[in-house]
Amino acid sequence: MFASIEDVIERFGQQRYICSRRIATVVYLASRLGKPILVEGPAGVGKTELAKVISAALDHELIRLQCYEGLDEAKALYEWEYAKQLLYTQILKDKISEVVGAAKSLKEAVDNIAQEDDVFFSDRFILPRPLLKAISAPHPTVLLIDEIDKADTEFEAFLLEILSDFQVSVPELGTLRAKHIPFVILTSNNAREMSDALKRRCLHLYIDFPPMEQELEIVRLKVPGISDSLAQQVVGAVQRIRQIDLKKVPSISETLDWAKALTLLNITHLDAALVDDTLSAILKYEGDIRKAQDELKEYLQRQKAKTPPAEPAGTAKDFLH
Amino acid sequence: MDDKILEFTSLLRQNGLRVSMAEHMDTFHALQLIGVENRVLFKDALRATMIKRSVDIAPYDELFDLYFTGLGEIIKASTEATQGAMSLSDAQLQALMDQLSQLLQDMGVELSELAQALLSNNTGQLEKMLREAADQARIGQIERSFQEGRYAHSLAQQLGLGDLTQELEALRQRLAQAGLDPELAEQLQRFLERRQQDLGDIIKRAVRAELAKRDQSLRENERMRSLAEKSFYYLSEDEIRRMKEAVAKLAQRLKNVVAIRRRRAKRGKFDVKDTLRKNLQYGGVPFKIQLDRKVRDKPQVIVLCDVSDSVRNVSRFMLQFVYSLQDLYSRVRSFIFVSEIGEITHLFEEQEISEAIDQALTGNIINVFAHSDFGRAFRSFHRDHLAVVNNKTTVMILGDARNNYNLPHEWVLKEMQARAKQVIWLNPENKMTRGFGDSEMDRYLPFCDLVEECRNLNQLYKVIDHLVT
Repeated sequence: MFASIEDVIERFGQQRYICSRRIATVVYLASRLGKPILVEGPAGVGKTELAKVISAALDHELIRLQCYEGLDEAKALYEWEYAKQLLYTQILKDKISEVVGAAKSLKEAVDNIAQEDDVFFSDRFILPRPLLKAISAPHPTVLLIDEIDKADTEFEAFLLEILSDFQVSVPELGTLRAKHIPFVILTSNNAREMSDALKRRCLHLYIDFPPMEQELEIVRLKVPGISDSLAQQVVGAVQRIRQIDLKKVPSISETLDWAKALTLLNITHLDAALVDDTLSAILKYEGDIRKAQDELKEYLQRQKAKTPPAEPAGTAKDFLH
Repeated sequence: MDDKILEFTSLLRQNGLRVSMAEHMDTFHALQLIGVENRVLFKDALRATMIKRSVDIAPYDELFDLYFTGLGEIIKASTEATQGAMSLSDAQLQALMDQLSQLLQDMGVELSELAQALLSNNTGQLEKMLREAADQARIGQIERSFQEGRYAHSLAQQLGLGDLTQELEALRQRLAQAGLDPELAEQLQRFLERRQQDLGDIIKRAVRAELAKRDQSLRENERMRSLAEKSFYYLSEDEIRRMKEAVAKLAQRLKNVVAIRRRRAKRGKFDVKDTLRKNLQYGGVPFKIQLDRKVRDKPQVIVLCDVSDSVRNVSRFMLQFVYSLQDLYSRVRSFIFVSEIGEITHLFEEQEISEAIDQALTGNIINVFAHSDFGRAFRSFHRDHLAVVNNKTTVMILGDARNNYNLPHEWVLKEMQARAKQVIWLNPENKMTRGFGDSEMDRYLPFCDLVEECRNLNQLYKVIDHLVT
């Protein structure tokens, strides 16, 4: 449990996750209200990372459920281990015929077996999937339901039940209630609009690409040894590229990749030729690359014309990883 | 505070943002934790609990600023204007107001509450009175901009602007006769005059802000809706730009719908072979049932677009729509024609949709300034490209069939229909005008499986929906 918004920021900081006040506010509220958070935003802004950091900051186990088309209850909640059950009946054949053997009629035999059937439908043979794991865990957990927009609408409806009551009923075992309400994070890339019912139950957090200073801070934190001027150029260029109309906009992780690649090549200054060679680190479409090259050439020339920029006021301790 | 949040919620709802009861409750719980002192936190808390769609964030921000800054800001702005006009510093203004109140006390003048608040620049008090008067005048019911005058008038009446004017007039006369230092007297006179104007100004702006609150996304929604119904013929430049977004959005929606339909359709009949194989691990006991998966043919589409002047806009959106949905078909080939015909499929392979369309329509491929000649275009299609039509293809022809009295060559269409799965003709013209003048629609009609009117976005959506399912 987080004590205050400042506490969230501080503990995230210890996990080397730079976060804005808005994110911290929502995380704090969610932890106090016991509500799930629905995180939306473009790919690569650290939505999944947020769950990981929360789990690390709270020191709770992270249970992850990756959604995909066709995900069903058996994969998300629990499954009986048929193979194991079968194996046991084979091994215990003698014992079973002992139970049945004394019976005089078929009905009696079935009754005898029925008395024993909860042996086979017990905790021993249940295979807990992420949702059941989170609910039945003896300690508090963080449950990450990743890319919920990829799952079917039916699954979404099924999730609703769990998210509102935090209990599941397994017909053979009865109702299982969560001992600790898990901290639930749902992420969505907006491939489709989530249902209103689901949204109603969640707090909403929209994470966008960070502004210049925040991204600079992130680059400095995650790419140690990068020179200040290079970091500025890289981030400036990426921020600029995001303004163009592209098929796929470069994400933060791609900025980091690019920065890492450039430091690896021992480069201290960007120029047009270098950009041409390394742009594939951040852009993944031929058309995008061509567009960005033109744009950046102009940008770099203007940068050159100006005197090297002064150290920015790095006060805004913000944004994610 | 609770009342204000309730009112804000209903304002959000009026603007088409859905806020449920449960979310409303969450907001109150959240505010118990966070408090209302810090504006930024307050705003974030409200946003996290009430706003659940990323498209709603922008209108929310705007409405929040309108609602929670509202009157106080307006009052402050007009005071600053006065201060600027009289070129007084903060301290000088304060000194002037102090002198005034001292004078009034000496003269034994008792001011009304409103005049007091106005002349001592008591923003809080003024805001409170203004708000009460606004409630009385029901300015929350304003809906249209032509009502501004009426509501401003009734707000002024509730506030007692008439009385105030008289009061200040009287005061100015008394001050004029009080025999003050001329410079001070001059300043005081101007100050009183300005403040009187200020109040009128504040009232007008308060009403305008109120109107802006109601109006925001309501108007936006309405515009979008009307855009979908508006004929392609009458679009302005700005509307064409926004139409592009609307088409993209609609295409995305259709994609989602189709994905769901496909998934449902996939579940087929009981598959014996597969079930046995899958259940071998359980000793042949059928624990897991396998259903066969229907393989659905994705349609192959050939688009023939007339891009002559009269239908160019329709062709533009048609192409955009078809190509936004590219992964729903197994193959799309597109041709444009006026009197010659040219293939533009490769443009879309190399370039981004909108750019490809621009290039196709600017005349690099064919002469787009010729006179329409469907017959000639069909004949060249028959000569050069007929091989691409097979029994899986849907041929979509978009054009108004206005042939400038050239030979229609409808036999090409007949042959195409014989080879293709279906031939769909989209005509942006009204049904009534077909067949008149140089329209050859009636001659082409017998060889089309479907002829649809397609003059606005909604109709286009319907046709494409029909095509992909």
